[in-house]
Amino acid sequence: MVDRVAVGAVWPVLVGLVFCGELTTVDAAPLCTNAQAGCHVLSLANLFDRVIQHSARMHGISNDLHSEFELYFLPSKNQIGRVSRNCHTSTILTPNGKENAQRMAREELTEVILKLLVAWRDPLWHFHQGLAHHHDFNNFSSNKSLEMSDMVHELRKGVQKVVEKMQTLGIISNSISSLASPEVLLASNSAEWRLMKDYDLLYCFRRDSNKVQNYLKILKCRIVPEHGC
Amino acid sequence: MAVSSPSSNLLLLLLISSLDWLSTPGSAFLIDWDHMTSSAPLEPHFTECISRDQETFRCWWSPGTFHNLSSPGALRVFYLKKESPTSEWKECPEYIHSNRECFFDVNHTSVWIPYCMQLRGQNNVTYFNEDDCFTVENIVRPDPPVSLNWTLLNISPSGLSYDVMVNWEPPPSADVGAGWMRIEYEIQYRERNSTNWEALEIQPHTQQTIFGLHIGKEYEVHIRCRMQAFVKFGEFSDSVFIQVTEIPTKESTIPLTLVLVFGILGILILIMLIVVSQQHRLMMVLLPPVPAPKIKGIDSELLKKGKLDELNFILTGGGMGGLPTYAPDFYQDEPWVEFIEVDADDGDSGGKEDNRGSDTQRLLGLPHPVSHRMNMGCSNAISFPDDDSGRASCYDADLPEQDTLMLMATLLPGQPEDEEASLDVEERASERSERSLVPTQTGGPQTWVNTDFYAQVSNVMPSGGVVLSPGQQLRIQESTSATEDEPHKGKEGEDGDETEELKQKELQFQLLVVDPEGNGYTTESNVRQISTPPSSPAPGEGYQTIHPQPVETKPAATAEDNQSPYILPDSPQSQFFAPVADYTVVQELDSHHSLLLNPPPRQSPPPCLPQHPLKAPMPVGYITPDLLGNLSP
Repeated sequence: MVDRVAVGAVWPVLVGLVFCGELTTVDAAPLCTNAQAGCHVLSLANLFDRVIQHSARMHGISNDLHSEFELYFLPSKNQIGRVSRNCHTSTILTPNGKENAQRMAREELTEVILKLLVAWRDPLWHFHQGLAHHHDFNNFSSNKSLEMSDMVHELRKGVQKVVEKMQTLGIISNSISSLASPEVLLASNSAEWRLMKDYDLLYCFRRDSNKVQNYLKILKCRIVPEHGC
Repeated sequence: MAVSSPSSNLLLLLLISSLDWLSTPGSAFLIDWDHMTSSAPLEPHFTECISRDQETFRCWWSPGTFHNLSSPGALRVFYLKKESPTSEWKECPEYIHSNRECFFDVNHTSVWIPYCMQLRGQNNVTYFNEDDCFTVENIVRPDPPVSLNWTLLNISPSGLSYDVMVNWEPPPSADVGAGWMRIEYEIQYRERNSTNWEALEIQPHTQQTIFGLHIGKEYEVHIRCRMQAFVKFGEFSDSVFIQVTEIPTKESTIPLTLVLVFGILGILILIMLIVVSQQHRLMMVLLPPVPAPKIKGIDSELLKKGKLDELNFILTGGGMGGLPTYAPDFYQDEPWVEFIEVDADDGDSGGKEDNRGSDTQRLLGLPHPVSHRMNMGCSNAISFPDDDSGRASCYDADLPEQDTLMLMATLLPGQPEDEEASLDVEERASERSERSLVPTQTGGPQTWVNTDFYAQVSNVMPSGGVVLSPGQQLRIQESTSATEDEPHKGKEGEDGDETEELKQKELQFQLLVVDPEGNGYTTESNVRQISTPPSSPAPGEGYQTIHPQPVETKPAATAEDNQSPYILPDSPQSQFFAPVADYTVVQELDSHHSLLLNPPPRQSPPPCLPQHPLKAPMPVGYITPDLLGNLSP
């Protein structure tokens, strides 16, 4: 319990530091209203591009970590078959095909993205904590895990900004704002992810980050198809 | 396992994985088949499952060594889609037996959901491998890009290498527009005959620049692509060949250099030609010649080589206009011609030639040569316009006219040809009385004596004055007496002949009127008159004698003034064309600078200048030609 409190106290500070630091995230510039002077206004397309880039990088890191983990564990095995348990995010209904994703409403798709991002915040943090304390893994993996967990957090905020922008532009309705606080979602999945093995976590996260990237791209090309679609 | 630390998780994972590995026979298509031993019987298995567009996928199987199962339908494909814990095995939705392929269309394809494949034979024999499970996004191998072509970007300044921009289109099967697939590309190129491919950086854009290709070489380029953040590449596209040959515009610099070289050579040659052709002028500019003493109006060339008749012509006024018409032509363009002043007092022997100095010396009987600061540039009133540089006035009354005469006298002996001519003349004139050229006293207006070099004395006054015959008649009578002069010709060429004629005719001296008051020389008008040809040139004679009669009138006039024994043909009417029998050579100059043709015996000390120098016992009055013979100067 003490650990959890400590983690809960330290973690926002760390996140805040990272937030102010290296990552070039979507939240760098505050959203300006009424085009105030000296305020750098980002277009929706720019926001989407930044978010998509972020998600792509996140997916890349998760892929690297997963591959690295395969080196430690027997690489000749395809671990898919052994994943008997589903990922803890399996309960989230996600479109599993292009048509399904395109048919889905924008608000739903945005909700799915946000749910996914929310669902992975704690597990990744926990995963990083486990790696940091373990000296079996090199610093490279540890740094990656930290980066990955931070990215999830950043990405969630970025997507929230995009949603707000879309809502101000009237592209989507305001139903998303009614999305429950992350703690609610977190509570429902809190037990499951602890049961998961690290490798399964990585595998699941790798899959989910790909989902997020895909959904964001589909959203972008559906709403603002100017660049890169 | 309730509270699992990471370390325990890992350990457990390790155990389980090892156990799994030991338990499962065979292997799945997702791993390499290469290290499988061929000795063990190969059961039917899936060779590969590939998705092109992340919406459909295909699986191929092989019967392995079980050839009895190779017939179509012997093996059946079943798949398990793990959507829920209660999912079941289902059979392949679409068989393509010719390829032993099972095709899953869009309806049966779900991404991010694990699929497991299974082969079943007869009698429910199942050939299943745990490794044959996958998710669709992991088996995606995109089609190769299409429409690959290239454009030339630039060529290096050296012309040896160039850059090329390659562009293409994403594979049509991959739905890049909807964002469903994010593809990154890899370009590879190589030289035509090389075996190693050069791979460029993987990047998601549909164009890329290849730098540093060499001119003249042919390159082969192909491209492939894969999903971003995934590993599996698609197949390579068809190759495209790039070749850039040499550009001929480089050669334009070569003729340019040739043109420059030839142009410079031509200019140099032109300069050389100009220098050579204008050598004299350039020499004149660069090395101005040292001005040599010149008689104004007289070309030095005339003095040299027997052009005496020309010189005489000049001196006598050149026919009509005399020197004015002639002399300017000589020296108009030669401003450097200096005029030498004849100065008796000047000890500087500026004589033209040394022999003249000696002659002068001889003439005068002086121990030292007379100075020859000759003022040759002095122009008289009748003379040509004086374009002498720097000469203020030549009308210097103080300048003795005798100096010019002296000059002439000095010049005379200096002419070898003249001497010859004179010798000839003397021969011819041996029968005649010699004349003597007596310089008259100078004074009064300075006049330039338009006399020939040789002035034949036609009369000698009792007081010692000498009557000279005009020489102008020579020119006019040249034609008439040409025949007469023929025997005298032949000395040299034409010039020599002319000079010979001139010399012969020079005997016809211009009449020099000796003015005891100092104006020894006649004015030009007088001289001109004197020099008008006589009415009757004596044929057979190269000489003309001065008709004394016209002379007589003048001196008669003047004799009254003073007992001038000299003839003064002042009036213009005087026609003094006394043919001179012969001419003598001035042999001496006495102390008063009077020419002594035959040095008379010293009778009295030479008087002052105004006095006539020669005091020969002469009858006062005229000497008629017939009296000339009595004269023996």
